[in-house]
Amino acid sequence: MTGHIALLCGIVLFSILAVLAKDLIKAAISLAVASLLLGILFFLMGAPYAGVFEISVVAGLITVLFMLTIALTKTGGDVRESKAVRIAFPVFFIAFIVIDILVMASLLPKIHVLAGGTETGTFGDVLWKQRTFDLVGQLAVILAGVFAVLALFRKRDKDE
Amino acid sequence: MSETWLIYLGFAAALLAVGLYTLLTMRNVIKLFIGFEVVSKGVSLVLLSTGFARTHILLAQSLVITFIVVEVSLVATALALIINIYRQTNSLDVRGLTKLKG
Repeated sequence: MTGHIALLCGIVLFSILAVLAKDLIKAAISLAVASLLLGILFFLMGAPYAGVFEISVVAGLITVLFMLTIALTKTGGDVRESKAVRIAFPVFFIAFIVIDILVMASLLPKIHVLAGGTETGTFGDVLWKQRTFDLVGQLAVILAGVFAVLALFRKRDKDE
Repeated sequence: MSETWLIYLGFAAALLAVGLYTLLTMRNVIKLFIGFEVVSKGVSLVLLSTGFARTHILLAQSLVITFIVVEVSLVATALALIINIYRQTNSLDVRGLTKLKG
């Protein structure tokens, strides 16, 4: 459990670094490190497939996409953030956590909890047999994403 | 086991707080998207930790994988939009998008 908490602390720390870093490249790298730690945590929790997806897709592919976008918009990266943003962050963070604990303490006992119990079958059985509808949805989302990117980067006609 | 679950929920709330703060206060559109990514990490953590605590880890894993696929598709589209916005306005400042006002 100590390892889990250390990883969770690392995830929150690198997420804060990603948000507060002035340099966008450093922010993207901090986000990738947070994803990497989350992937390791997934492995430790006994979810190797989710860990592989988190590390390869989120820490890898999304970081590459961020880097590409930062490189393509290089000169526009100097947007000045208000100084108050950095000063107010600890206050907001602590207030949010305190309110969250109070609300969750009153709500959690009222929420109906799923019955615990051991799952039968393999991950493949659960993914392909129980979540078939989700997989169809995934295909639709991937296709929608591909068509959206193609539409956004299409060449302009001479008439336009 | 529920105490362990509460620890995970607490850390997920911390990630949500960081992401929401970014979405509410930052002006750079790439930073806004980094905030969205942080929020999505919190959501992944809640999904998997709930499955872990209730010994439904296989189901939680499949949901997290679905979530990651949706997230990647969204990020690819949004970053393409950001590049187009930059080409139009020559800036990444979200306040420059006043043309969207009705």
